[in-house]
Amino acid sequence: MAWSKEERVRELARLIGISIVPEEETEVADRFESLMKELDELVSLDLADIEPVTIFPEEP
Amino acid sequence: MTTHELPFQSAAATAQAIAAKQVSPVEVVHAYLERIDRLDDTLHAYITVCREAALDAARRAERAIMQGEKLGPLYGVPVAVKDQFWTRGLLTTNGSRVYRDFVPDDDATMVARLAQAGTILLGKLNLSELAMGGTRNPPWGITRNPWDLERTPGESSSGSGAALAAHLCAASVGEDTGGSGRGPAAYCSVVGLRPTYTRVSRYGMTPMCWFTDTAAPMTKTVEDCALVLGAIAGYDPKDPTTSRQPVPDYTAPLGQSLNGMRVAVIRELFEHDDIHPEVKQAIAAALEVFRELGAEVREVSIPLIPHAGAIFVGAGDTAGAGARDEILRTRADELDPASRTRLQSAALVPAQVYHRAMKARVVLRQQFMAALDQADVLVSAMSPFPPLLHTSLTAPFAGADDVRFRFFFRRSYSASYALAALPAISIPGGFTSDPALPIGLQLGARPFAEAKLLQAAHAYEQATTWHQRRAPFAVEATA
Repeated sequence: MAWSKEERVRELARLIGISIVPEEETEVADRFESLMKELDELVSLDLADIEPVTIFPEEP
Repeated sequence: MTTHELPFQSAAATAQAIAAKQVSPVEVVHAYLERIDRLDDTLHAYITVCREAALDAARRAERAIMQGEKLGPLYGVPVAVKDQFWTRGLLTTNGSRVYRDFVPDDDATMVARLAQAGTILLGKLNLSELAMGGTRNPPWGITRNPWDLERTPGESSSGSGAALAAHLCAASVGEDTGGSGRGPAAYCSVVGLRPTYTRVSRYGMTPMCWFTDTAAPMTKTVEDCALVLGAIAGYDPKDPTTSRQPVPDYTAPLGQSLNGMRVAVIRELFEHDDIHPEVKQAIAAALEVFRELGAEVREVSIPLIPHAGAIFVGAGDTAGAGARDEILRTRADELDPASRTRLQSAALVPAQVYHRAMKARVVLRQQFMAALDQADVLVSAMSPFPPLLHTSLTAPFAGADDVRFRFFFRRSYSASYALAALPAISIPGGFTSDPALPIGLQLGARPFAEAKLLQAAHAYEQATTWHQRRAPFAVEATA
């Protein structure tokens, strides 16, 4: 049986050791699912040769 | 100049009047404190007002002036800083109940440099909790926009924008992680600069996302912005990421011609279906102003920019959630629901998705740099719409599509420069017609090209009158 969005975030939160209050589970789930959906759209980018640097080299 | 008029002056004009002994720093500080006393119960721009310390500093400044000491261009100017910057012996709340008793034992380097420049600290300014946004029940009150008290002044440097628009300080420094300085500047019709990442020390600035956080000068004029940036920029051994590049005189290019400067509108932000029509009109009108000023106006494309909001949240919020792991585990109940749900959802992001967002950030930077091969200055709106009602900003999200529109869309305008680590500035760019609400014009440039950015911003400012308008609340409360 498929989990509801609330059940998914509840389980993820349990695994990383944080607790989500029941009345906020839907909001956390909506934020999380929306972000995952948006970032899923980036899978079509060719990122194979990209290094995920955090600070860019200085270029005046 | 009457005492009532003093707080309406720019920082540069105030400093010049002080240096010329036309007015004393004590008079200036008194004039600002009087306005804070009268207006801030409504605005909630300040969390802490340093009344006695500011008056003591003003008296010292007055003595120095009378003794003929050499003064800098901001000497005696009353400033305020976002309550995210450490101030030795002074409460630094980060807008959060979690930090309600936090009193640092050192000054942020930025705060120390403002003091070295001779400015006088009036106080610490309100902000959205932990420099995020959408705080529903802010512990130190909802900061109101002097242009319309029912609307947000922008986030997260809400107090910095509101205090300037209401003339409760001469200049301020906010902070910009993904638009937190430029956004309030746009919504309050003042100037807000995001410097190149590494240009200004982050020491003593409570972090949200360590690789995009930067101090953000916020001022009434572009000239003031150049002066404040010049005062706070430069290498700091306490922040090893700061650049060793020399700090130029940022006021030097102000007034220079824009003849031949290549100014380009970012197509994806200008043509977006959901941009407010009057905001789009204002950007089109701004391009015409630049053309009349001698610039070569063109168009560039940054294809990934519509995704910048989601990339920012995937990379920046996830890093921010990691940095606040202890709070999330042990003190989450003290957080506002908006901050808690935002950080918790970011904490759940899998490593490979975070990694993808960080890589996409690099591609976005590459696309920006390619656009900046074709242009000296990029143009867009700072926000796709004018200031929102408080009630619509703080309402819980109604499903994933609502998150997409309210949370990601507007961040594509603001967070894109933060992700690319590029300098950008928001300046007054017009008003909607009814109601009359501020529109921010955003300009961006290559790394360390703040001087060029300020040159273009100053030319536009001087060719228009938007910066001369006064917020209704600031004026009515004066009468």
